[in-house]
Amino acid sequence: MGNTPRATRRYSARSPLVGYLLRRLGTSVLLLFGVTIVTFALANLVPGDPIAAALGEGAASNPATVEAYIQERGLDQPLPVQYVNYIGGLFQGDMGVSLRTAQPVASDLSKAVPATVEIALLAIVVSLGVGVALGSLAAYRRGKLSDQLVRVFSLIGLSIPTFWMALVSFNFFFLQLRIAPGSGRLSPALAPPPTVTGFYTADALLAGQWVTFTDALAHLMLPVFVLSLFTIGLLTRFVRTSVLEVLDADYVRAGRAKGLSGPRLLFGYVLRGASLPILTIVGLAFGTLLSGTVLVEAVFAWPGLGSYAYNSATSLDLPGVMGVGLVVGVVYLTINFAVDLLYGVLDPRVRLA
Amino acid sequence: MRTKFRYVAAAFGLTASLALAGCAAAAPEVSDSIVIDTAFTLETSDPGRNYVPTGYMVSKALYETLLDFAGSDESTPVDGLATYESNDDATVFTFTLKDGRVFSDGSAITADDVVFSLNRVAGMTESKANFLMNGITVTKVDDMTVELSTETPSLKLPALMTNPSLAILNSALVIENGGTTDDSDAAEAFLNETSAGSGPYILDTVNFESQVVLTENENYNGDEDIDFTRVVIRNVSEAATQKINLEGNDSQVAVDLSGDQVASLSDGINVFSTPSAQTIFLLINQSEEVGGMTANPDFANAVRYALDYPALLELAGAGSEQATGVIPPSFLGALENGVEQDLDVAAASLEASGYDGESITLEYPNDYPVGGVSFTPLAERIQSQLADAGITIELAPAPFTTQIDSYVNGTEAFSIWFWGPDYADSANFLPFSAGQKVGLRAGWTAEQDADVVNLAAAAENATNFDERETAFSNFAEALQQRGPFVPLIVPGSNIATASYIDGVAYNSTWTMDIAELQAK
Repeated sequence: MGNTPRATRRYSARSPLVGYLLRRLGTSVLLLFGVTIVTFALANLVPGDPIAAALGEGAASNPATVEAYIQERGLDQPLPVQYVNYIGGLFQGDMGVSLRTAQPVASDLSKAVPATVEIALLAIVVSLGVGVALGSLAAYRRGKLSDQLVRVFSLIGLSIPTFWMALVSFNFFFLQLRIAPGSGRLSPALAPPPTVTGFYTADALLAGQWVTFTDALAHLMLPVFVLSLFTIGLLTRFVRTSVLEVLDADYVRAGRAKGLSGPRLLFGYVLRGASLPILTIVGLAFGTLLSGTVLVEAVFAWPGLGSYAYNSATSLDLPGVMGVGLVVGVVYLTINFAVDLLYGVLDPRVRLA
Repeated sequence: MRTKFRYVAAAFGLTASLALAGCAAAAPEVSDSIVIDTAFTLETSDPGRNYVPTGYMVSKALYETLLDFAGSDESTPVDGLATYESNDDATVFTFTLKDGRVFSDGSAITADDVVFSLNRVAGMTESKANFLMNGITVTKVDDMTVELSTETPSLKLPALMTNPSLAILNSALVIENGGTTDDSDAAEAFLNETSAGSGPYILDTVNFESQVVLTENENYNGDEDIDFTRVVIRNVSEAATQKINLEGNDSQVAVDLSGDQVASLSDGINVFSTPSAQTIFLLINQSEEVGGMTANPDFANAVRYALDYPALLELAGAGSEQATGVIPPSFLGALENGVEQDLDVAAASLEASGYDGESITLEYPNDYPVGGVSFTPLAERIQSQLADAGITIELAPAPFTTQIDSYVNGTEAFSIWFWGPDYADSANFLPFSAGQKVGLRAGWTAEQDADVVNLAAAAENATNFDERETAFSNFAEALQQRGPFVPLIVPGSNIATASYIDGVAYNSTWTMDIAELQAK
């Protein structure tokens, strides 16, 4: 009996888990393919003249310039051919050239994505820590004053417009209290650390640049704070509801009856039981943070994915728009994939199913 | 219970420790540096390929041109790297380089550099700046002299030679790094890493999405005496953030503040407000097929005299002015006074037009403020004023990227748009003539007003500056009286700086010359 579980975990090509993984990967690739079709179609159906938008009045009235521009980017080809060229380029890591920045989209995104992931990761960690703590507290203290206070706090977090909160907090913590730095990822006097991960904090540590690390970390604080508020509100309410449900479960009562309390009961029974729905919300929240930070990035002059998406869309930069669409698609697919895998880790019943 | 609170305390502790890290990292002292916040339009550091505002600001600091403008005066070019004279026909312009000027690597600037730089732009057909060299032939006379010639009179040529796209590059260095005078040019990558000019600054680092850093050119021997040896130009797209950064001394210059934001700045901030070079105007289509009622010139006249221009100007804020014509005030030929409201003339014109109360649709971009002027409140006020004059307006806003198509294709009957010069010369406003680009967008063909066509030709072909100024004034006057455009507002340009900074001068092409910024 003792060897049986170990035997089932020796994954072979025929094992259910490997099959499941391969199926999920196949589905993800198909979905990704669908994402490229949708983003390409949407980008090319948008009304407006992207060439005129990219060249400006003067250059757009010069036929030689327009012709050279069209030829160089293959815009004279039929749309299906352009799509095939686009897909062919993707396989070689070529996402096209941005009409707005005139740089390769892949190069633009390689700078924008880490900037956003850095704040999104920190925001989700903070949100998870605070949200789980507050949600658990509210559930344990159901109906008490602390429960009421936590619910009011979470409601405020959910209700305050992020853009407004960003402006107010920037004004208050930077301009009035002077305890936060100005906008951007680093103070103007500092040069970015050598790029390894694209995260300024991690890269600064890797390069041993302590001043740059603390400065980069300081610049993360306000965007993370603002981004976290909504997610904390969301998670707090969700954790409270989930924990309340689990608190009434038989196995928790049995745990209590055995004399368990405090951390062992909370982490070993309650949160483990409530973890699946919480995990779903965390995954979705992380995806939203990655793709929906445009307003916060605008306020804090954060050169991330949100800013890039907004600027690309408003300037009819179709390759830029398609690049962002692809990245967001990959992000959501990856998160869903990871969440599904974690389901199996957290709950053996899911693994067996 | 204490245990539960420990978890909460731990969560808050994490947040607090991160916040303390924020407090710990104070911004370093940067007394010889200056930080400029602006909403980026930047796609290259190659001046020959650049044609966007932030790019111009950067190029202006890194490179020099044959001619220049003094401060905010864009009516007359002054000497730059060279002095110039032209023949009586204004078809041959001879530029003589100043002695002793050098590039940042110490090598001398010669006629070969001028010929290469200008021919490079002319040869790169994919460059957005390529059209600036249309019809211009460049010939070397001797090591210090270059001749630029055109087939027809071209008094706009001196103004063109102030454009940073036509900056003079170190030809030997650029050729060594892939530079050519045709479409095979491959020097952009090199010029995106380093600068090859003679300006007061050299390029340190550039990130097209976030910031550009410039440092002092140790070999610069021009007229500028720079006070700031390091310049950081940051991309801050939100004007409210620019304002907070400036007030919090995280930056020293904010370029894109609106009139309202300027009015609420804290003490100790300098503001340089001046009319920009943009003109916001009403387009009244003269094609019966497109506009129906609007095609009647009397209807355009009724609109022209029905509007209360000072009331519209209230929406624009600091630095703005009523547009006196399609040519903005800082340019040659701009009219002294704009149209004044005259409800009697408006009523008579409306009656003469045969208008019988039908609703006219007013289209405009609702997500694209120009110089801080949002078009939605402007359209609403126009609607209200025209209603008082008996004209029924229905508003039809749309996003800029959607709206621009119908504007460019001339399918809008009645709309609000704007126009900014591509280069600093009044010739930029000749497209408003009948039969020209903007005129045709308003359904105004050459056959509809031969007189305006002749006035535009006279302005285009003038051979001396006095004659030219008169010709442009006559053109602007004719448009003001009977054109299908109703110029409304020239929005202000507001550049705000820390109190110790002086020397800001607005320019319609390069916004401001960074090298002219001085510490008081």
